[in-house]
Amino acid sequence: MSTSTATREMPDIYHKAGSLSSERRWALWTAYISLIFAAIIFLAPPVYMFITSLKTSAEVANLTGSPWLVREPTLENYAAILGNPTFLVFFWNSVKITVCVVLITMVISTLAAFALARMRFWGSQALATGVFLTYLIPETLLFIPLYQIVGGLGLLNSSWGLVVVYPTLTVPFCTWIMIGYFASIPKELDEAALIDGASWSQMLLKIFIPVAMPGIIAATIFAFTVSWAAFVYPTAFVTTPDEMPLTIGVVSQLVRADTFAWGQIMAGALLAALPPVIVYAFLMDYYIAGLTAGATKG
Amino acid sequence: MAADGSVLVGRTEGVTSLQRFARRRSTIAFLMTLPLILVIGGLVAYPAVYAMYLSTLNRTMVRNIGLENFAILLDTDTFYMVILQSCIFAISAVLLKALIGFWLAHMLHDIPAKGQRKWRGMLLIPWVIPPALSTLGWWWMFDPSYSSINYLLNVFAVPSVPWLGEPWWARVSVIIVNVWYGAPFFMIMYLAALKSVPEQLYEAAAIDGATGFQRLRYITLPMMRNIISITVLFSLIVTFANYDIVRVLTNGGPRDLTHVFATYAFQVGILSGNVPRGAAVSLFMFPLLAIFAFFVLRGVTRRNKEEA
Amino acid sequence: MAFDGMSRRDVLRASALATVAGGTLAAPAVHAQATTTLRCGFWDHWVPAGNGIMRELCAEWGRNNRVDVQVDFITSVGNQNLLTIAAQAQARSGHDILSFPTWEPSAHARLLEPVDDVVGRLVAKYGPINPAAEFLAKREGAWRAIPAVSGTQQKPCLARFDLLQEHAGLDVRAMYPAEDRTGPGVDQWNWDTFLVAAEKCHAAGFSFGLPMGSFTDAVDWVGALFRSYNAKFIDESGTVTVRRDPGVRAGLEYMVKLARFLPNDVWAWDDASNNRSLISGRSALIFNPPSTWAVAKRDAPQVAEKCWTFPMPAGPAGRFTPYLPYFWGIWSFSRNKTAAKGLLEFLSDRTSAERQTTTSSGYDIPPFGSMANFDIWRTEGPPVGVVYNYPLKPHHNATQSVAFAPAPAEIAVQAYNQAINTKLVARVAQGGETIDQALTWAERELRNFARG
Repeated sequence: MSTSTATREMPDIYHKAGSLSSERRWALWTAYISLIFAAIIFLAPPVYMFITSLKTSAEVANLTGSPWLVREPTLENYAAILGNPTFLVFFWNSVKITVCVVLITMVISTLAAFALARMRFWGSQALATGVFLTYLIPETLLFIPLYQIVGGLGLLNSSWGLVVVYPTLTVPFCTWIMIGYFASIPKELDEAALIDGASWSQMLLKIFIPVAMPGIIAATIFAFTVSWAAFVYPTAFVTTPDEMPLTIGVVSQLVRADTFAWGQIMAGALLAALPPVIVYAFLMDYYIAGLTAGATKG
Repeated sequence: MAADGSVLVGRTEGVTSLQRFARRRSTIAFLMTLPLILVIGGLVAYPAVYAMYLSTLNRTMVRNIGLENFAILLDTDTFYMVILQSCIFAISAVLLKALIGFWLAHMLHDIPAKGQRKWRGMLLIPWVIPPALSTLGWWWMFDPSYSSINYLLNVFAVPSVPWLGEPWWARVSVIIVNVWYGAPFFMIMYLAALKSVPEQLYEAAAIDGATGFQRLRYITLPMMRNIISITVLFSLIVTFANYDIVRVLTNGGPRDLTHVFATYAFQVGILSGNVPRGAAVSLFMFPLLAIFAFFVLRGVTRRNKEEA
Repeated sequence: MAFDGMSRRDVLRASALATVAGGTLAAPAVHAQATTTLRCGFWDHWVPAGNGIMRELCAEWGRNNRVDVQVDFITSVGNQNLLTIAAQAQARSGHDILSFPTWEPSAHARLLEPVDDVVGRLVAKYGPINPAAEFLAKREGAWRAIPAVSGTQQKPCLARFDLLQEHAGLDVRAMYPAEDRTGPGVDQWNWDTFLVAAEKCHAAGFSFGLPMGSFTDAVDWVGALFRSYNAKFIDESGTVTVRRDPGVRAGLEYMVKLARFLPNDVWAWDDASNNRSLISGRSALIFNPPSTWAVAKRDAPQVAEKCWTFPMPAGPAGRFTPYLPYFWGIWSFSRNKTAAKGLLEFLSDRTSAERQTTTSSGYDIPPFGSMANFDIWRTEGPPVGVVYNYPLKPHHNATQSVAFAPAPAEIAVQAYNQAINTKLVARVAQGGETIDQALTWAERELRNFARG
C-alpha cells in the first residue's frame, strides 16, 4: 500500500493489466446475471398482477394450467373498475387530497427551509434538529392519539381530516431536502441581492426558488408519492367509502371475501399505482435526486 | 452569517436601517417557520405527549389507572411475541435489504454507464408502487389455493409452501415482501454513494495490486460508512414501525405471531376499542426509536462537522 | 307507517327529481321540507346480488315515505365493519343505521337507540325471535338492535357430495334429503364420524377446508364445536372458567386430532380461503353459507352442481349450528330515529325479508322461526335442494350457537374479535404446546380482557 510497493516491480503491473481485462469481463457477466435475476424478481409481482387483471373470474378460478399465462385476455376487469362509481370516487379523493397536501407541504417547507437555511434566529438551530427528529417519529406511533384529536375536531370519516394530518408525513422530509438545497446556494448570491436592496420575499422568489428548482421538484415528487401511498392514517380515520382515498379503498372495498373478484382487485390496484409510476417514468432523475438528497448533501 | 456583517461594514450611512432590517429579519424568519412549527407542534409533539396521557386511562377513558396498561401488556404472552416479532422482522429485513441493495448497487456500478439508467429505472419500480397495493399482489401470489409461486415451485418439483399459514413461513413472507419493497431504496442510496467515491482511489489501488475484496474493504466501505449507517438506521426505524405489509398480508396471523407494534396497536386500540391500551402498545416503540434517533443524529452532526 | 298514496307521491317525487335535474336553483323551493336524509351502512353482502336488493328496498321505501335513503355497504373483510363501528362510536357521528355483527350491539349498547316498539310489533306479527339473537340484542331489558335479515348467516356443512360418497362413504343427500325428514345414517352424524371422514378425504387429497385463523368463519365454527362439547370459556358472571372446564378440554383434544387432517395453512385462512378451497375443487367440505355455492355456480359450475348443504355433526351436548347474526342498530346520536325505525320495520317485513333471502340465493336467515319456509331454499339449484337444509328446520334437531356465549358482552366481544378459541387450538395443534400450557395462556388472556 505504500509508494515503495508501487514502484518496486514494474513487470507486475503489466502482468496485472492482462488479468484485469479478464477480471473486468468476468465482473461484467456477474453484473448482468445479477441484474437480470433481480429484475425478474423485482418485476414479477406487478407483472403477475397485470396477468391476473387480464383474466376472467372463471379463468382465475381454473386451476389447470399455468397461472402465469393468460388464455383468453379480456379487458372486462378494467371496464368494470372504471365503470364502478366507487372506484372513481376513491380516485377523485386521492387526487383531491394529494393536490392539497402537496401544495400545503411545498408552501410550508419552502418558507421554513429558506428561513432555517439563511436567516438565523433564536431557536432556529433547535428547530432544524427538531425537523429532523420528527422525521424519525413514524406515523404508527401517532395514529392512536391523532385518532382522538381528529375525532375531537369532527374530521373522522372525512378526506379533509387526511389533508390535515398528511403534512406530518411530508413536511419534515421536504423541509430537510430544501434546507440542503438552499444551503448549497452560494452566499454571494444573496449578499449581492441584499446590496441591491432586494427584500427577503424577492430574494426567495427571484433567486432561491429558481436556483433550487431541482430540489423543489424532488420534494414535490416526494410529497406526491407519500400522500398518494399513505395507508395508516386513512385506514384508521376513514371508514366511509365516499371519503376513502385509493390505497385503503382498493384494499378494503374491492377485496370482497366470498366473491371471486381477483381480476378486478388487481386491475384496481394497478390503476391506483399508475400515477406514481407515471410521474416516476417522466421525472425519474429528480425522483432519485430527491431520494438520495440525504446521502449526497448535508 | 459573519460574512453579512463584514460586507456591510463599509456602508456606514445605512447602519440604522440595516439594524432595523436585522431586527425585522428574525421576526420574518419566525413568521416563515410558523406553519412548520404549528405542524410539528400540533400534529407531532402534541399527539406524542397526548399518547402518554392516554395510555394512563382505563378502557372507557373515564378513570386514570397510572401504568396499569403497561403492566397488563407485560402480563400477556401475545405482547412478548409482538416485541420479539418486531425485532426479528426489522433486523432481518433491514440486513437483507442492505446486503441486496449493496450488491445490486455494485453490479449497477460495474456495467457501462450508458445502460445504467435503464436498469436503475427498472429496479426501482418496487419502491415506486404504493406498498399497500403491491402487497395485495403478493397476497394473491401467496394464496393457499391459487399460489402462483407454489405453482413455479411445483414445476421444479419443490413441494408447496404454506406461505401465510405456518408461523415461520408467514414471518418469512412478510420479510420477503418488505425486502422486495425496500431493497431498491438501498440500491439507489448506495449507488449515489459509490458514484461519489473518487475514481483515483481505485486507480491507485489497482496500481498497488489490491484485489477486489481489498478495494471493497479499504476504499469502498470506509468511503460509504456514513451513508450506510444513516440508511440502515433510517430503514430500521421505518421497518420497525411498518404497518401496511403486515396488515394486508397476514393481519397479524397465524396466532398473532406476525403482529408488529403498529398492527397490534391498531388491533387493540382501534379495532377492539381500547384506545388507551393501544396507545400504550405504540409507546413501547419509543425507547427503541429514541436509541436509533440518537445514533442517526450523532452520525449526521459528525458528518456535518467533517464537511464544515 | 302508511304506504298508501303511492302513485301520487311517485308523481311528486318524479317531478321533484326532474326539477333537480333541470336546475339546482329551483329545487329547494319546490322540495325544501319534504326530504330527510337517512344514511345507512349495511353489511357488504358476499352474494354478489345481495347489495342490489337492499338498495332497491331502501329506494322503494324512501320513495313511499319521501325520505332520501343513502346506502353504503361496509365489508367485513379485514374487519372493516368493526373499524367503522368503532370510529363512529368514537366520533359520535356517521350513519343513522348501521349493521352490527354478533357481539357488537351489546358492546355498544349504551350508544344504541332502544327499538322495543319495532321489535314488539314484529314479534306480534311473526312470532318469537330466535333465542340466540335475542340474547345478543337485548341489554338491560331493552332491545338495542333489530336482528337483521340481510347478512345473517349460518355456517353448516357445505360439501361435495360426490367426494364424500366416493372417499368417505357418506351419502349426505340420503341423510339430509331436500325434504322435511332425515334419512339413514343421521343418528351416526357426529364429530367422531366427521373425524373419520376428514381423515379419509385428507388421504384422498381433498382435505376439509376448515379455517382456523382469526376471522368469523373460523371463530364461529370452532365456537359451535366447543359448544357441542358443552364447553364454557367464561361463565355468565364473567368468571374465566376455561382452565377447569372439562368441555373445553374435550373439545380441544378433539380439535387437535382433527387438525392433522386439515391443510397445513388453515391457521392463516381468512373468510374467503375456505370458499376458494371448495371452488378450486381441492376440498370436499367447508362450513359456509350458500355464498360459496353461488360464486361457484358462476365461476366453476362443474363444482357447484356437486354441492350439498346439510347440518353440522353432533357432539355430546347436542347439535349446534354456527350462527353469525347481523343486527340493524340505530345510533342514539342519529337525528332521524323515527324514519330509521320505519325503514327497519319495512326491511324486517316478511315480503321484504323473502326478497332479501331470495336474491341472496337463500343466504340470509331471517330471525323469525316462522320465516324458515321461503320458497328459495326449496328451489335453488343446481343441484335442486342444495340449500334446502341451510336454515334450521325442526327435523335437524339443532340449535344455533354463538361463540363465547354466555359470557358478558364486554369480555366476549374481545375474545371473539381476537379469536381466542381458534388460537387456543392452534397453540396446541400447530405450536406444539401442551394442553395445560395453552389453557393457562387462554385464561390469562381472557382475564386481561376484563382488566383495566
